[in-house]
Amino acid sequence: MTDEVILRVKDLRTYFKTDEGLVKAVDGVSLELRKGEILGIVGESGSGKSVTNLSIINMIPSPPGEIAGGEVLFRGRDLLKMGAKDIRNVRGNKISMIFQDPMTSLNPFLRISTQMMETIILHQGLGKKAAKEKAIEMLKLAGIPAPEKRIDQYPHQFSGGMRQRVMIAMGLACNPEVLIADEPTSALDVTIQAQILELVEELTARLGTAVILITHSLGVVAGMCDTLCVMYAGRIVERGTTDDIFAEPRHPYTQGLIRSVPRLDVAAADRLPSIKGQPPNVIDLPECCPFYPRCESAMEICKRSYPDSADFGSGHRVSCWLYAKERA
Amino acid sequence: MSDTEALLDVRGLKMHFPFGGGLLGGRRGKIYAVDGVDFSIMKGETLGIVGESGCGKSTTARAVAQLYKPTAGEVLLNGKDLTKLSPARLIEARRGMQMVFQDPYASLNPRMTAGDIIAEPMRIYRRRGILRMSRREIDERIEMLMERVGLSRFFKNRYPHEFSGGQRQRIGIARALALRPELILCDEPVSALDVSIQAQILNLFKDLQAEFGLTYLFIAHDLAVIQYISMRVAVMYLGVIVEISRAADLYREPLHPYTQALLSAAPIPDPEIERRRQRIILTGDVPSPDRARTGCYFYDRCWKRMDKCASSVPRLKETKDGHQVACFLYNDPD
Amino acid sequence: MADTNADKRDSMTNEFDQKMEPVSLWKDAWRRLKKNKMALAGLAIIALYFAATLLAPVLPIYHYEEQVVDHANLPPSLRRAGEVMLETRVAYMRKTMESEGRSEMNEEEKAQVERMKADVASNPVHKRVYVLGTDDLGRDMMARILYGGRISIMIGLIGTITATLVGILLGSIAGYVGGRLDNFIMRFVDVLYGLPYMLVVIIMMAVFGKNVINLFVAIALVSWLTLARVVRGQVISLKHAEFVEAARSMGASPARIVFRHLTPNTLGVIVVFATLLVPDFIMSESFLSFLGLGVSAPLASWGSLVSEGTNTMELYPWQLLVPAIAMTVFLFAMNFLGDGLRDALDPQSKNRT
Repeated sequence: MTDEVILRVKDLRTYFKTDEGLVKAVDGVSLELRKGEILGIVGESGSGKSVTNLSIINMIPSPPGEIAGGEVLFRGRDLLKMGAKDIRNVRGNKISMIFQDPMTSLNPFLRISTQMMETIILHQGLGKKAAKEKAIEMLKLAGIPAPEKRIDQYPHQFSGGMRQRVMIAMGLACNPEVLIADEPTSALDVTIQAQILELVEELTARLGTAVILITHSLGVVAGMCDTLCVMYAGRIVERGTTDDIFAEPRHPYTQGLIRSVPRLDVAAADRLPSIKGQPPNVIDLPECCPFYPRCESAMEICKRSYPDSADFGSGHRVSCWLYAKERA
Repeated sequence: MSDTEALLDVRGLKMHFPFGGGLLGGRRGKIYAVDGVDFSIMKGETLGIVGESGCGKSTTARAVAQLYKPTAGEVLLNGKDLTKLSPARLIEARRGMQMVFQDPYASLNPRMTAGDIIAEPMRIYRRRGILRMSRREIDERIEMLMERVGLSRFFKNRYPHEFSGGQRQRIGIARALALRPELILCDEPVSALDVSIQAQILNLFKDLQAEFGLTYLFIAHDLAVIQYISMRVAVMYLGVIVEISRAADLYREPLHPYTQALLSAAPIPDPEIERRRQRIILTGDVPSPDRARTGCYFYDRCWKRMDKCASSVPRLKETKDGHQVACFLYNDPD
Repeated sequence: MADTNADKRDSMTNEFDQKMEPVSLWKDAWRRLKKNKMALAGLAIIALYFAATLLAPVLPIYHYEEQVVDHANLPPSLRRAGEVMLETRVAYMRKTMESEGRSEMNEEEKAQVERMKADVASNPVHKRVYVLGTDDLGRDMMARILYGGRISIMIGLIGTITATLVGILLGSIAGYVGGRLDNFIMRFVDVLYGLPYMLVVIIMMAVFGKNVINLFVAIALVSWLTLARVVRGQVISLKHAEFVEAARSMGASPARIVFRHLTPNTLGVIVVFATLLVPDFIMSESFLSFLGLGVSAPLASWGSLVSEGTNTMELYPWQLLVPAIAMTVFLFAMNFLGDGLRDALDPQSKNRT
């Protein structure tokens, strides 16, 4: 991981107009991604982590959603303001995305070769033969046995783990600078998950790709990510290096989350400490810290306004009234 | 505790699903979803079953619940074999055994109110004459159950879509408790929930067990969850149990190579530990249970395999106190 | 104490102290329907039709059977019948005069005109206003289409309800039980589908007589087919849902599962199809009436009115146009409503503002 920042998200806001009200799915998210870094975004349902992803490459279905504000600077250029042709040049080429369910992100009617060659030809301008060779090479790197034969097969002929490998191969085929992985292993068995995560780690290190990894599993981020952003109700409530956050979580939500996950390496406790209440329904959220109904340390001010950010050094920042100075 | 009779005793359970053939041809075959499973659960105990997809854990639960008719084997609840009961007797016996399902969105009828969902088992049994409860008694019980699982009773007339995932699962649990069962089969009840809600529901399960003296068959794919909730754990692979022992023993000293690989692959939320870990990465995919086996089911992926493993099937044998394993590393073939 | 409980019941607040209104699935659908202007217009029109046809006996209109021979074939007008009658007769006379090359009325014609004028002045019946004109027997078109509407709409409704009930019954059973019974029922449906529907109806009417009951039976006999297929499809897709497994695991009987669990969850689809069946029925009936096999005089239906109207459409076009437009508007309205319902009840189309 170097110090060179290649992707900078500034105060991103994505809102959805629904029948029931305004959903501020992402409400002021800022983050920085450095070359070669693996950044984890952790959150539960309604936290806005997936919407953040889609917003970065400007793929929010509109209506009902729209990007209401903010910038996404990739190598200095704002992706949200790019024209259609330019942004298509970025997607799949410089910034690639893989999703949770490979069955729905692969076209079941097309052979793998067709789908992979499509991106390669489009972005790298290679001829058909060269593109196919590149695709086979990627499949081999991704650990698919007999790739020359399997490349002509259809998605349903692959198992879940294999399909995810195909997705990774496709995602990295054009040697992108950023790979966004949205819950890539949540649908996989634990032994396959281990294989896939190891593959992602190895390939991205080799190719120098930076990764944004979105997941709800604290175990996965602990093993994979250099830095971590914890999201709640559309905002990042705590961020920092993975080591810092696990060693000393500051935000009550992060603390509660880490404590409430059962761990294999400790003997089973009698009772699992849990966060009371449930993740908020982010429709028409009032002005407050959205965690206050569930927070053990909630104060009056938490009900009235969203806390400012407090800095703990080496990139560890927390948005919580316990630490932020109250504005006069 | 061990000299009381088992509440649930499963012997030689098999569940085979034929497929294929028919007018359009295609390969004829069988899915050996459950291929000879034996275990017993004592009253008040929690047996956890853990395994990956295709291992047969969910099918086992449904076969025990008699939602599928087992291809072979016996399921003894309080000494009575459920597979041999007439439909009328089975319904009576079912009262003692209820189920909680995985998907909080699909396991509740979207057109019924929370109260109706919870009351349904009582109403069914009252209509059959097995249960004698007045309308008011049922209403009172609904409210009591809702409060007990942590839902306000004023939500009785709301519909499932108005509740969150965790709340819906609580409704499902209340429904399972309605008839005062002894045994509850839990099929991945927390897998579809958010992490912070999982802990709440797991605590709820433990509290209810203490209060009502419940016995659980708890199925999950997350090892840490199983470790927390279970007293004993069974590890399943391709339709058979490969290892079964007390929870603490299993995690401290896994014997079967598959269990070792599983534990090694499970992520731990601690970056330092993760960095230092030596992972056993299994090669290949989780196979599908579509053919009969002549040797050990784990042979293809086992890095400790021996020649004898290919020709005979290891059976579960007790190796240490309360710790059974099906592996020729510890036992010899018969 | 009791009051606070009642308050709590109706207006729960969530953790942010925001009110949480109970929202049933139907209320949700209604809200979406309201956004669809066409569907609402359709609904309003249908409501109007229902009201008008239901209340026909008490509305201040002329009786639909009453014939006033003098008033035969009068065009729609807001003026008094007497005036209109005079005008049309005189115009007719002028036509005859023209064809005979005269420009002056002869004695006989003048006398006719005088007689009519006298009649108009004295007879109160000529004070009537036929807003939609009259037919060839001097019957008020407005009354005819209102009463005709009663018959047509009734056929539409009763036929639809019957078809729906039969379709639900057979479709659910076929879908849930599966196996041979499913096969049998579906092959039966296939066979009926293959029948030349109109031919069957015509034969039935010819054999069993031409009355309204037989009309119902004949049409209802074949119209449940599509609905049965649709319901069967829904039931098959739902019967493996976890909530059905849950019901089975607590000892629910198959009947309970089908009628308490599966059918209510197919209501959305059923409502949409049923709404679109009503126009089908009305069209079928009108076609039969057109062929002379539908309702017979003195009863009228929109179809029979259209049939009569085609005989005279060159001379008296309103006799065709009035019932045709009345029927067409109703059918459009039902179709818009059906479309709107499909969108409103389809969970996929949520939040597509």
